[in-house]
Amino acid sequence: MQTPRRTAVVLAAAVMSGVLVLSACGGSGGSSTDTAASGGPVELTVGLFGTFGYDEVGLFKEYESQNPGVTIKYESTQGEDKYWPALQTRLASGSGVADVQGIEVARISDVVTNQPDQWTDLRDTPAADAISRYIGWKEPAATTPDGAVLGLGTDIGPMGICYRSDLLQQAGLPTDPAALSAEMPDWNAFLALGERFKASAPAGTSWHDSAGGLYNAIVSQQKEIYYGQSGDLVFDSNPAVRSAFDTAARAGQSGLTAKLEQFVDPGWDQGFSSGSFATIACPSWMIGYIKGKAGDGGSGKWNVTSLPGGAGGNWGGAYLGIPQASQHKDEAAKLIAWLTAPEQQARVFREVGNFPSTTQAIASVTDTTDPYFNNAPIGKIFSDSAQNAPVQILGPQDGVIKNAMVQALLSVETTGAAPDTAWNTAVGNVKNQVG
Amino acid sequence: MTMQVDRPVAGERGTPPAAGTPSRPSWRSRLYAFEGRSAPYAFIAPFFLVFFAFGLFPLVYTAWISLHSYRLGGRMRWIGFDNYVWLFSNPSFYNSLWKTITIGILSTVPQLLLALGLAHLLNYRLRGRTFLRVAMLMPYATSVAAATLVFALIFGRDGGIVNGLLGVVGIEPVDWRNGNWTAQIAISVIVIWHWTGYNALIYLAGMQSISKDLYEAAAIDGANRWEQFLHVTIPGLRPTIMFTIIVSTIGASQLFGEPLLFGGGQPNGGSVNQYQTVGLFMYQQGWQYSQLGRAATVAWVMFILIIGLVLLNSWLARRRRPATEGTLS
Amino acid sequence: MTTVDVHHISASLAPPSPKRGRGRPQDAAGWLTYGILTVTTLLFVAPFYYMIVAASRPMSEMNTFPPPLVPGGDLFSNIGTAIHQQNIGLALWNSLVVSTVVTVSTVLFCTLAGFAFGKLRFRGRNLLFAITLGTMMIPPSLSVVPLYSVMAELGLAGTLSSVILPSLCAAFGVFFMRQYLIQALPDELLEAARVDGATTLRTFWSIVLPIARPGAAVLGMLTFMTAWNDFFWPIITLNSSNPTVQVALNNLGSGYVPDTAVIMAGTLIGTLPVLVVFVLLGRQIVGGIMAGAVKG
Repeated sequence: MQTPRRTAVVLAAAVMSGVLVLSACGGSGGSSTDTAASGGPVELTVGLFGTFGYDEVGLFKEYESQNPGVTIKYESTQGEDKYWPALQTRLASGSGVADVQGIEVARISDVVTNQPDQWTDLRDTPAADAISRYIGWKEPAATTPDGAVLGLGTDIGPMGICYRSDLLQQAGLPTDPAALSAEMPDWNAFLALGERFKASAPAGTSWHDSAGGLYNAIVSQQKEIYYGQSGDLVFDSNPAVRSAFDTAARAGQSGLTAKLEQFVDPGWDQGFSSGSFATIACPSWMIGYIKGKAGDGGSGKWNVTSLPGGAGGNWGGAYLGIPQASQHKDEAAKLIAWLTAPEQQARVFREVGNFPSTTQAIASVTDTTDPYFNNAPIGKIFSDSAQNAPVQILGPQDGVIKNAMVQALLSVETTGAAPDTAWNTAVGNVKNQVG
Repeated sequence: MTMQVDRPVAGERGTPPAAGTPSRPSWRSRLYAFEGRSAPYAFIAPFFLVFFAFGLFPLVYTAWISLHSYRLGGRMRWIGFDNYVWLFSNPSFYNSLWKTITIGILSTVPQLLLALGLAHLLNYRLRGRTFLRVAMLMPYATSVAAATLVFALIFGRDGGIVNGLLGVVGIEPVDWRNGNWTAQIAISVIVIWHWTGYNALIYLAGMQSISKDLYEAAAIDGANRWEQFLHVTIPGLRPTIMFTIIVSTIGASQLFGEPLLFGGGQPNGGSVNQYQTVGLFMYQQGWQYSQLGRAATVAWVMFILIIGLVLLNSWLARRRRPATEGTLS
Repeated sequence: MTTVDVHHISASLAPPSPKRGRGRPQDAAGWLTYGILTVTTLLFVAPFYYMIVAASRPMSEMNTFPPPLVPGGDLFSNIGTAIHQQNIGLALWNSLVVSTVVTVSTVLFCTLAGFAFGKLRFRGRNLLFAITLGTMMIPPSLSVVPLYSVMAELGLAGTLSSVILPSLCAAFGVFFMRQYLIQALPDELLEAARVDGATTLRTFWSIVLPIARPGAAVLGMLTFMTAWNDFFWPIITLNSSNPTVQVALNNLGSGYVPDTAVIMAGTLIGTLPVLVVFVLLGRQIVGGIMAGAVKG
């Protein structure tokens, strides 16, 4: 009578072992520890998100052939919002991290503030010499108060204004980048142009894509946004933030925006081709986004000019860091120093569009024009914006606060909330979250 | 063959079976009795093994985390019940609780009623029944991500099909995503689309295990189709209906994939959090803001609330039908 | 000890005539029934059609207004792009392994436990069942952090085992089989088996399993699809070099410009295998339900 039960046990055991055997067949993720240290062959793992462009340009293969004995295992997660939590989970458990990990600029302050002990100080590695080749603010943002440098910059996101020259022409506005720029010395002038546009615009077309996008562009020019010089929260008392909020809310209230939430509303994507909006504040990396979303039919319709008044601002960009858990810190440091070197940055910009962050690379791309954008001098526009951008004070809760502000502006646009009420809601939400 | 029906539940066996010598309990009969007593535990053991390793430990650990300030990637710092104080004084939490309830009702009630009706229709003798059943389950075979991506386009403001159809009837385009109720309805439609066929199949399986004699008896008593449905099918399906209600309630209370992806991966749940469910609120704390301590707190409060809800459900069910075998114990 | 012929028991307990089974006597459906079912089916299938439309055109065409409603000619090139971007072949294989193992073990273990909870009497049953239900209420998105620590501790992080192990037996399945068996398994059968001296396991093997088959088939199908579509935990534990389908799909699209068409094309090839399996086995499963219904 025991036999049947034993059968069940055996069966259960068989299922369990089947699990292990089958999954072993499926191939298990390699770790970076399979090879011994210095001299011998090394396998470096690289974990990135989105498109850094290295694989696309063939830089990994090139590095492998230049450095015999080094093999690179590259993996990428598409969405940064999924990449980062997974990386954090792995960091917390101390296993499964790659030798090189990408860090989005919005996370760098968190890394510097909250996890300096998880990342390698690059000053002690072969990448030390690379730290000095960046434009002003890029490396300070990745440096702890003690001076440890936790990441090497890859790209940056200098801002401009992308616009539909065909729609502007229909509304009788200037379409040449320089002429348009001359008509908008500041954001108020930009909105005044919007009113002129609205008066004679084709139906179903708004001046700007969203109040949140407008707000984001305005604050991106500020040195101090949500945090003060000493690292204290000043977002609700900083007049620059409130004024940007009010300007954007005014634009939303007076119907200058298409009320399309960026990256969330499918209508926003459609707007690039359908013409729901005539202008959008665009960082350099959005050039590629517009081309993809507007397709071949959008070629020659879109154009780029500088932010009002020729100001500089930044949105986005990334770093490469080496987790403390890496077994090959020196090799990894050599790799990231090479990947972020000016020559490589310039190549990535030409092929993928990520704007370089080293001064030498920026200088080498200033003469770039883009036929898709009516041959707009995008190299000049974005490098000027990069040079003029302030050294921003970043803080660990920047993302939380920006999210609350953009959300509140959307409520002004779509639900008709009063700007003051929306502002108070946003401040309340932030205080609940951060305070 | 003799049958005794006065002790309907198997599994409790003190006495040996009829054969053998009753005077001296043999090792065989003792072994048999032992088997009878221990078998239930052996049967549930695999489930509990998996549960202890990969369910209970994370659960208890989550309770522990909820008493800490713990940023993902940082260190845990003991703060006692501060997270709970924070949660219960946070209007966003109450908002998310309320939205979970409204979206839960909007999605669950029509879904189960539709499923019941569809199962009833599918239970007729039909041509192409296999095709119909397969078609009903196709939504379930689709990932939430794919379904939501498609529906986000369908409910688009400027080029969406729904607004296109409404335009034919002369209704102005609706900004589904940004309205309060419209966004909740759109999300409920995704949930209903995804789960109705699934529930219909479960009801169908249940309907087909109801004894035919009951229907014939009812027919002899002069009950028409509708009365048969009400008085035979529905009572016969009681355990199945209980099952679907509880599973849907739990599903609705944990709803987060649909609103998350409907919001383009942003856990805000819209400009005024009009579709931020508790699941989304928790996800936002844990994965957008990296506040694992707070997320754990939300999870535990939610856990306790759902247990309360399910207990209430089954208590109500038992009070209504005290004698029914098979309701939740 | 008497020899026990449980087959004989169950045969003797079956309803007198094989035609007098379970389920409402089946009337032929009227035109109204067909009408309602056709409309519902169309509504259920329409989003799939739209998925094909979106997968067969360049992304920018889907972004035009009004959006196109008929498929374009780019289906295969978009599928090609998707396959080129991610290791879809390996992903399909991995998903097949994971879903199959999870399905087999879930059906077996959950039927065992569901039978115990539904039809056997033992100390602590109600408490243990309440705990089982409780496990369904743990939000899966939170426990991933402790779960990852467990897997890392076991050296399984990043492997398929880390995806399979937590799903070997779900509370949902236990609950499902319990409710099914309460309804479908007559107590008289168990009683007869007991009288004949069958062990509980023997009873399970010879009486419960055959009766549980229709329910188990449904559970198996549902489990397979759930396992196939599961993404939250696999995204955390697996990486793109050894993905399941959902992990690979999640990584589709290129760069800052997620290409909707490619994502849709990938989703299509990720969904097709399940649909094919389902269409092929659907007949069997439906047949199983019918057979079970007749046999009782």
